[in-house]
Amino acid sequence: MHDLLNDKPIKLRRSQIRLPLGLRSLLVGLFLCGLAVLLIALDGQGKLGSARAFVQQGLAPVAQVLTGIRGQVDAFAMAPFGDAAIQARLQELERENSRLADQLLRLEQAQVENVFLRQQLQIQREHPWTLLGAEVTVRSPDAGRRVIVIARGTRDGLAPGMAVISQLPGGPTALIGIVEAAGPRTAEVLLITDISSQISARVMNEGRSALGMMQGQWQNGSRLRLNQVDRGLPLKQGASVMTAGMTAALNLPLDLASVPSNIPVGVIEEVRTAENYQYADLRPFVDPDQVRYVWVILNQDD
Amino acid sequence: MLVLALVQVTLLSTPLGFSVPLVLIVVISGALLSMGAAFPDVGVQRVLRWALYGGLTLDILAATYLGTHALALLTATLVVVVLARRIRIEGIMIPLLAVLIASVIYELVLALLINRGMIEWSTYALLIMLPSILITLIPTLPIFFLVRWLLRNQL
Repeated sequence: MHDLLNDKPIKLRRSQIRLPLGLRSLLVGLFLCGLAVLLIALDGQGKLGSARAFVQQGLAPVAQVLTGIRGQVDAFAMAPFGDAAIQARLQELERENSRLADQLLRLEQAQVENVFLRQQLQIQREHPWTLLGAEVTVRSPDAGRRVIVIARGTRDGLAPGMAVISQLPGGPTALIGIVEAAGPRTAEVLLITDISSQISARVMNEGRSALGMMQGQWQNGSRLRLNQVDRGLPLKQGASVMTAGMTAALNLPLDLASVPSNIPVGVIEEVRTAENYQYADLRPFVDPDQVRYVWVILNQDD
Repeated sequence: MLVLALVQVTLLSTPLGFSVPLVLIVVISGALLSMGAAFPDVGVQRVLRWALYGGLTLDILAATYLGTHALALLTATLVVVVLARRIRIEGIMIPLLAVLIASVIYELVLALLINRGMIEWSTYALLIMLPSILITLIPTLPIFFLVRWLLRNQL
């Protein structure tokens, strides 16, 4: 007896009927590939730019909306799941955190400002100067010129020729440069180490003083040099050098008349003699390349 | 295809810079399903047109030369069609294998057309192609079954 139930069913599924793929489909595929290559070539030559721009312009609003939705989805996914109250609390804490971060920043700014103001007060107690603090904003990128830009200008009372001082931890307040040009909000300071910087200076030693001209030596591979000191006057290693304020003393109508006398500059490192004059290499008390905050001497109390 | 390309470019992009190539998966799924249909030529030609339209839309949205994505999609589809013509389209491995092969070809063609000689292939394969291929494989089966359901009356 033939058991019909054991007979395998006839497979009628279309997916199992294998038909050879026609040549026409391949040709269509190759034609479309050729079309794509042609489009690439044309677009590469810029011949489809306007058409592309037109379509892009049409698609841009939709794409923008979809990207916005994506952003919202991301924000939702990143937010904690759960009670609405938890999310509200989280938002509140985030706001509180932002407020505290702002306060902390202000406090840090105030602390920094406090340090600088204390230094300024101390300097003003010791010296008869009216000072204006300024932050160094830019250093010259050119190695051939030693200039800094500070964040004060003519609106703050600055003028060319004013002396700029600074102080490093553990050192005395000392001259670092002269205001060379001043804009409304910023000023360029020519550092004393620049070769074009020339300031009258005085050396104090054994109760006697010697006058000379101090010139920057950065471009010569050094820092400062005191020139044209009379050979008969005492110059010794370790002696302090200060500004002489000769321009002001002689009442010359020059910018440097604003530079007061007795601003510390540096100490003598080496003394050399040539003909009737002496030369001295100086080490400045404050390395001008290290300063981040300076004070401009606005005037001197007589 | 326009909507699919828009979705791929906007909604399916991941924070790491990869996006699920939705158009590729749909085209390859359509090609596989067409191969098992009563009249495969009709279905395959339809899928090739999808590849062209989807690719051109991707080119416009992705600011690549018009035809770049289209050529990559068409090449991948043609290779899959040629390879799949003598096998039975059954089970879940065939769609995965087909999309894997298509994805490799798609990424290779895109790399050749977009980056040309600027890339170091070993690094590119490891850092760009491999993650892209893995991301492509993840949604392949759901999309394949969805396409099969959508095309049930046309096969």
